[in-house]
Amino acid sequence: MNTPTGEAAERTGVSSTAVPKRQLKGAWKHIKRDKYLYLLLVPVMAYYFIFKYAPMLGEIIAFKDYRFADGIWGSKWAGFKHFERLFTSPDFFNVLKNTLLLNVYGIVFAFPVPIVLAILLNEVRIEWYKRTIQNLLYIPHFISWVVLGGIVIALLSPSTGIVNTVIKAFGIEPVYFMASNFWWPVMFILSGIWQSAGWGTILYLAAMAGIDPQLYEAAKIDGASKLRRIWHITLPGIRSTIAILLILRVGQMMDVGFEQIFILQNKAVYQVSNVISTYVYHVGLEGSQYSYTTALGLFQSIIGLILIISVNKIIKAMGENGLW
Amino acid sequence: MTGGSTGTVRLLYGLLYLFLAFLAVLTLFPFVNVLATSLSGSRAISSGEVFLWPKDVTFASFDNLIQDGQLLVAMKNTVLITVVGTALNIFTTIIAAYPLSRKRLKGRNLLLMLITFTMLFGGGLIPNYILIKTLGIMNTYWALWLPALVSTYNFFVMKTFFENLPSELEESAAIDGANDLVIIWKIILPLSLPIIAALTLFYAVGWWNSYMNVLMYITSSGKQSLMVKLLQMIDTTSQSLLNANATSGGEGATMQTLVSPEGIRAAAIIISVAPILCVYPFLQKYFVKGVLIGSLKG
Repeated sequence: MNTPTGEAAERTGVSSTAVPKRQLKGAWKHIKRDKYLYLLLVPVMAYYFIFKYAPMLGEIIAFKDYRFADGIWGSKWAGFKHFERLFTSPDFFNVLKNTLLLNVYGIVFAFPVPIVLAILLNEVRIEWYKRTIQNLLYIPHFISWVVLGGIVIALLSPSTGIVNTVIKAFGIEPVYFMASNFWWPVMFILSGIWQSAGWGTILYLAAMAGIDPQLYEAAKIDGASKLRRIWHITLPGIRSTIAILLILRVGQMMDVGFEQIFILQNKAVYQVSNVISTYVYHVGLEGSQYSYTTALGLFQSIIGLILIISVNKIIKAMGENGLW
Repeated sequence: MTGGSTGTVRLLYGLLYLFLAFLAVLTLFPFVNVLATSLSGSRAISSGEVFLWPKDVTFASFDNLIQDGQLLVAMKNTVLITVVGTALNIFTTIIAAYPLSRKRLKGRNLLLMLITFTMLFGGGLIPNYILIKTLGIMNTYWALWLPALVSTYNFFVMKTFFENLPSELEESAAIDGANDLVIIWKIILPLSLPIIAALTLFYAVGWWNSYMNVLMYITSSGKQSLMVKLLQMIDTTSQSLLNANATSGGEGATMQTLVSPEGIRAAAIIISVAPILCVYPFLQKYFVKGVLIGSLKG
């Protein structure tokens, strides 16, 4: 505290003797000048402390035997008991594996789709046609996963779903897609593409709009084919957008969108569909094992934090603007 | 594949346009199929005859839902949750973003750091649940509104927008003696209508579609939201489908009645998405604008 800044004095609101009087006065002047701004921030910061920082403190129950009657502070300490149980439990390795696998599938199969789609859309020369297609492709992004999931389940139903009606027309046995350990992840990824591929094109299209049209002209004069122009001009033009979005996506490896997976999963496919968040929900909330699943949540958050910090370092090393 | 012959190029472009149209149709086809199902008779549905057009057209499924009334109550609840939630969100986002967009504000960096950190690390599901229980707001809509008072991402979008507003107007108003609140109300807000529109839409769609929070915090059935009611219907129908599939003779029972669980589920889906699909064509340009402002580094 030997570097007395006006900021520190203003935060504590106490006049420490180490703070020269002039600086204090300066700080006071700032507060007075911006009093309304600070006043506006009071509820905002109260929100962040109560609803964001208090739950972080609440994660301390991972080291306790939490009972609601005793409260967070009154509950008995349990040391690393819950973590030991967690790391020796087969459930843990299963949900961790599913979380990572579904993310890897997403990166391999779903991530490239908006890029290809954006390249195709970018080739469309009729403006209204392009806009119409875009607006239609965006629609699923605005629909709740309850609805999308309900539709997916209905379409794939073995008795009345249209997909199986078509399959049966070819004389093949109907497939129970949502209850098959092989088909369920496929449908999870496909429904994710359906929901977000169109919307995902926006940033790529914006990046493509920023490419200098003279580059295309020059390449055309040099006799470069359409595909070569896409390969040598369009793709390099969106390379940094691709890199940043890919890295951000990798930074989310520990998360699977709860709302999507919760609606699509069912008991028959728990083996491949149970991820960290749904496990915490089922075992923690429904099974009231608060401390045990908080230990899992804490593990997930810490790995997630490490991932995102590493990702930010990589982005900065590439010479791009970091996330912070 | 060279640009040499215009004939091949034309053909390729034709194919590209057709392919994109096919993708758009593929994207929308499931919605159309559900719409057709919602308007079809139960016999046509269970024999799998419904594709794009309803068979044995009937409004029985919709009638059934309206007479039951639960879905309409849930819709009323969702409207309340959405309207109040969005209003609180916009208000809070503005009062957070404006002060922190002023570079002169002392302590700004510390506060921004505190806010940014919450994007990287969170308390997790169980501690949040315990917090809501401790605050005694279980089974009230405050349990939905308060924890989601401001989206940190949207906060950064709005802060970036405020930072890029021209400062001259504001400075001259300050010289005329207007205080910050007057400046926000008279100068900043009128200039910010496009971004406020975009964020209002994002928040409102989020409220309309979310179900996880309601599932966790709202216990009495009269207070359930539209999406949770729909979720329950989907769960029960897929359960009945599972059973019907196991004992495949069970379908005979539903064939007798006019409405089938599939038809009712389809009708419920249509009722839930109709409001969004109705406003979407008029508002989609604001959505895109919002994303592009947000991507200019928050």
